[in-house]
Amino acid sequence: MLVGKATPDDMNLHPIKYQWAYDLYNQAVRNTWFPHEIALKEDLDDWQKMTDDERHAVKFLMAFFNPAELIVNRSIALGVYPYLKSAECHLYLAKQMWEEANHCVAFEYVLQTFPFNRDEVFAIHLQTPSMLAKEAYINKYMKRMMEDSLDIETPEGKKDFIRNLVATNIVMEGIWFYSGFMVALSFRQRNQLRNLGSMINWVIRDESLHLKFGINLIHNILEENAELVSADFAQEIAGIIVEGVNLETAYNKDLFPHGILGLNADYVNQYVQYVADRRLEELGLPKHYNVTNPAKWMTTSTDVFELVNFFEAQNTNYEVDSGKH
Amino acid sequence: MVNLTITKRDGAREQFNADKINRSIERACQGLTDPISMVTQIASETQLTLYDGITTEEMDIATINAAVQNIKEDIEYDKVAVRLLLKTVYRRVIGEYNDNPTELAAKYRTRFAEYVREGIASGLLDTRMAEKYDLEALAASLMIERDEIFTYAGLSSLLDRYALKNTKQKPAETPQYFFMRIAMGLAYNEANPTEMAQKFYDRMSQHLYVAGGSTNLAAGTPRPALSNCFLLEVHDDMDHIAKSVADVLKLSKASGGIGVSVTKLRAAGSPLKSSNTVSSGPTPFAKIMDTAIRAVQRGGKKKGALCFYMENWHYDFPEYIDWKHNAGDDYLRMRTANTAVYLSDDFMRRVEQQEDWYMFDPKETPDLNELYGKEFAKRYAEYIEMAKRGELRMWKKVPATEQWHQILTALQSTSHPWLTWKDPINLRALNNNTGTIHMSNLCTEICLPQSKDSVAVCNLASLNLAGHIEGRQLNWHKLEESVRLAIRQLDNLIDINTLPIPEAVKGDQENRAIGLGVMGFADALEQLGMAYESGHAADFSDRVFEFVSYMAIDESANLARERGVYKHFEGSRWSKGMVPVDSIAALEEDRGISTGMKRESRNKQLNWDALREKVKGGMRNATLMAVAPNANIGLVAGTTPGIDPRFAQVFSRNKISGKYMDINHNLVKDLKNMGIWDEVKEKIVEQQGDISSIPEIPSYLKQIYKTSFSTSPYAFIEVAARAQKWVDQALSRNMYLESRDMNEMKNVYMAAWKQGLKTTYYLHMKPRHTAEQSTTSVNKMAITGKRGFANVVAQPVFANEEPVASPIQMSPVQVPEMVPVKAEAVSTEVPQPATRGFAAVADQGALPITPAMQEVLPVTASSPSSAPTALAVGAVTALAVAPTEEVSRMGFATVGEASVSEPATPAPALAQAPVQAKKAFVCPVDPAERAQCDACQ
Repeated sequence: MLVGKATPDDMNLHPIKYQWAYDLYNQAVRNTWFPHEIALKEDLDDWQKMTDDERHAVKFLMAFFNPAELIVNRSIALGVYPYLKSAECHLYLAKQMWEEANHCVAFEYVLQTFPFNRDEVFAIHLQTPSMLAKEAYINKYMKRMMEDSLDIETPEGKKDFIRNLVATNIVMEGIWFYSGFMVALSFRQRNQLRNLGSMINWVIRDESLHLKFGINLIHNILEENAELVSADFAQEIAGIIVEGVNLETAYNKDLFPHGILGLNADYVNQYVQYVADRRLEELGLPKHYNVTNPAKWMTTSTDVFELVNFFEAQNTNYEVDSGKH
Repeated sequence: MVNLTITKRDGAREQFNADKINRSIERACQGLTDPISMVTQIASETQLTLYDGITTEEMDIATINAAVQNIKEDIEYDKVAVRLLLKTVYRRVIGEYNDNPTELAAKYRTRFAEYVREGIASGLLDTRMAEKYDLEALAASLMIERDEIFTYAGLSSLLDRYALKNTKQKPAETPQYFFMRIAMGLAYNEANPTEMAQKFYDRMSQHLYVAGGSTNLAAGTPRPALSNCFLLEVHDDMDHIAKSVADVLKLSKASGGIGVSVTKLRAAGSPLKSSNTVSSGPTPFAKIMDTAIRAVQRGGKKKGALCFYMENWHYDFPEYIDWKHNAGDDYLRMRTANTAVYLSDDFMRRVEQQEDWYMFDPKETPDLNELYGKEFAKRYAEYIEMAKRGELRMWKKVPATEQWHQILTALQSTSHPWLTWKDPINLRALNNNTGTIHMSNLCTEICLPQSKDSVAVCNLASLNLAGHIEGRQLNWHKLEESVRLAIRQLDNLIDINTLPIPEAVKGDQENRAIGLGVMGFADALEQLGMAYESGHAADFSDRVFEFVSYMAIDESANLARERGVYKHFEGSRWSKGMVPVDSIAALEEDRGISTGMKRESRNKQLNWDALREKVKGGMRNATLMAVAPNANIGLVAGTTPGIDPRFAQVFSRNKISGKYMDINHNLVKDLKNMGIWDEVKEKIVEQQGDISSIPEIPSYLKQIYKTSFSTSPYAFIEVAARAQKWVDQALSRNMYLESRDMNEMKNVYMAAWKQGLKTTYYLHMKPRHTAEQSTTSVNKMAITGKRGFANVVAQPVFANEEPVASPIQMSPVQVPEMVPVKAEAVSTEVPQPATRGFAAVADQGALPITPAMQEVLPVTASSPSSAPTALAVGAVTALAVAPTEEVSRMGFATVGEASVSEPATPAPALAQAPVQAKKAFVCPVDPAERAQCDACQ
């Protein structure tokens, strides 16, 4: 069983019961990267040329991402890791938590390199209602996981586990982050902040894996606990996702009070809805929004192999585990 | 959109006028297959991205971007993007022409002389640009229509990277002005500069050959630093190390890529006589250069680029292998510079024989760096004996196979060090009378000697083979003309070139080294219907490079007769009547094994013996050919770079000038001819540009259009080895591997060495894991093999809380000639997502929602095979086709729960607003395409 109270038996990796989790762990290790591999000098030159609204968007994203990575870690540490019995999953989550830490430090590196008023940026998430609402949403589900009354062996306890996992993994990492990535990458599409774009490529590569893990986890838990699979619960889960989309919609209006070249709040929100539909389907739920992806340029940005001219940009395709064969 | 205003160039605001934008897009779509739908598409997508107060300039960019993001749908959008981009350039460089082609043509020519004179006045151009030329005649020979032969990525790169800039950093020349500037900037010293500039221009403006990057940046300017490559070695004394750092800075500023050999630097721990302390070894000194190149913007456009070279017998070589590792002490790592290893035949032999490999302090073995071939092996063996006898202070040994393994594992995980081979480079050199060649260069195609007082310099241009294909044939006569003009142009360059350090001037003047390359090889193969991975392709490589080599040699010999021989001609192998292919014998004799390369001619019309006699009489240039990677000029010319295969049928390039989609136009045309493009285009993106698993595409096309990862690496080696026979320098042989199997990798690189390759270049490993795709249908549930909530949920029955108000919905594009197509027709033609969701619903038909049906959905009654259709049909039905029918509010229409029906729920927000604007959209007729059509959903 994946979810439950861990017993001494659960401390053995072998025999591996959830090969998918172990495979994801190994891939995650290969994906290891460090922020200092990216030089930001040219991006600083771009920064000088950016409009106020563009700068606002970049700062706003940083203000969200920097604490968000830590919030994901808290949620994993307090709400996910303790209730899993599988050693393979623990391995993966340990690597994921390092990655979240690495992302936080990566954004920190950006914050320290760009001419930001850092106190101001750090304060944004505490002062912006739309951002506070997003954090409160995550905390709501996470808080439940820390309550003494939670009994993970009961169906209701397991439901709480899934609610929290959906909020953190599916909504925060799988929808909110993706919306932010699209915005960040849109700058590179216009040949600005190219190096930040390379960093985001790496973050997306990691996050794609986090999401694969989360979706696998949910499906496997549902399969092992058939009693959880009810129409009511399905509806509730869809509701959690839709709630997350609504919060993001409000947030994006603060991200783009006016709009910048190529992007405005409506455009980003349509993208959010598009991604949310995908997440719904990935859980076996019906699409809710039925919108197309407005950001067709994402084909170039993320969907096909990238050929990097090594002396022009950081090659983000390398993996670090060769020699083990 | 309510009140959308545009900020004009003078700061004034005006009301957004959709009509105006549409007309301008319409003009850009003229003459294309389906202009009306293209206009609609671009106009509506442009409007999606607008915001109140957008500037006119941003509006232009938004329009171009809207065209660009549709290139993956149809390559005709590429043409539109090119035209839209050109328009912005014309307005800036030539002035307002009121969208009148006649007016444009006239102004294009009259403006040319002004462009030259103003350029001179502002210090952008050399005074010779006016003095030497008949500007009227040159203006008359401008071929304006050639501006349109670019791809969008090519034009955008050219403008961003190579075009002269005005004070606002914007491109200050049109493409034809650009080509004419290069041509003029290389013809000052001709007897008839105007006539020769016209000839050079005529070739370059058709992209038949393209000058190297530095030449493109600096030709015609008052500071013509035109060389691409510099190769210098650092000597083992502090003064020379310091000077080398300064030289690296100056050469970077002159926009060259640099090779730096650090083999001569004594090892870490080697004693320093002056202070009785010990040396810190090459690493900290290299780190200074690594940092130095970051400080310099090459030609104002890119930071410095440098590749270190070290021979692998150096005591610190194990540390050198780690220089590019992403973890570890930053002071021991090179973040910007690249690394290459310079391997001897003796090492390769020891790997094969599983012998030991010794590493020494160059302070104690100074001659090893100067020796090659058998002489190296002999001396190396002597040092081993000395080490064994205890006569050397520092040495260590490892099994040669172990070091080989270390090199290749580092290559696989950090893409460094690149493998290059000292002995074939030196043993095959025709300029072997000027000292040992201690390294190759940044891109591993240059093989020139250097010493303390001479820095090697190479000047580049590349032929575009694909440009010489006419009617499915290579036009050999045209190719000959291109080769001869390119060689002449390159030779001219040397007498105009200004270089920042005297050692480089000396190297350049005395050797007059040039490197004519070939690009568009894979492109040409595709057009001729040959698979890269075939004997025919290898034979084609053989024939083409033989022909180019012959013509290049002949032209250099002609120039020697016209202008005199290069300084070190006497004593070179040229002076003994040798041509590159003759030097294979020297290599094979020294190795004692064959490369397997045949030496006879494949072109009957070429008389090599006559040429050998002619060569004896004098050569103008120490070297003639080098096949550069052409990562940029290949893009400019819209063809495949160098001898590289297609990376994939669709992929992206991350360039300084932006991230571009590259889609194989040859393949698209073939698929369009077959009428299957629309069916397969999404699948090609889904498969990340690999068509091998797409059933609709015939298998013979799959042979021709492989990706670089599905092509055998041995094919890369064979193509390069055949070319290397005829090329006096080397080829930047990019390698691509799908497998991470170390034994396989060892075999590949061993084969490359055995077949006589001088160098290999970057290694691309196929990524095992990539980010989630955004624009294709992805459902990770499929890989879990599970169904999640699909067993218990039915229809999408949420009411939409808040439709996303896309601006486009408010201001539909008005294109009057549109033919509306009824939406209902589509409902059964929806694409089948590759997911297994909704299986349960499927069995129930899933058409308009009836709660009663859903009540009985049993978990086990699902049928995955029929599920996908149902999913999509349900969605479409509920949301688009029948918005006035029942659309339930809240939640899933789930088991046992009747949804509340509510009539006339507002239509949900759909992506493309033209859907709702009645006359504003043409829906496709093709059912498959219609399934993708938003209006139809």
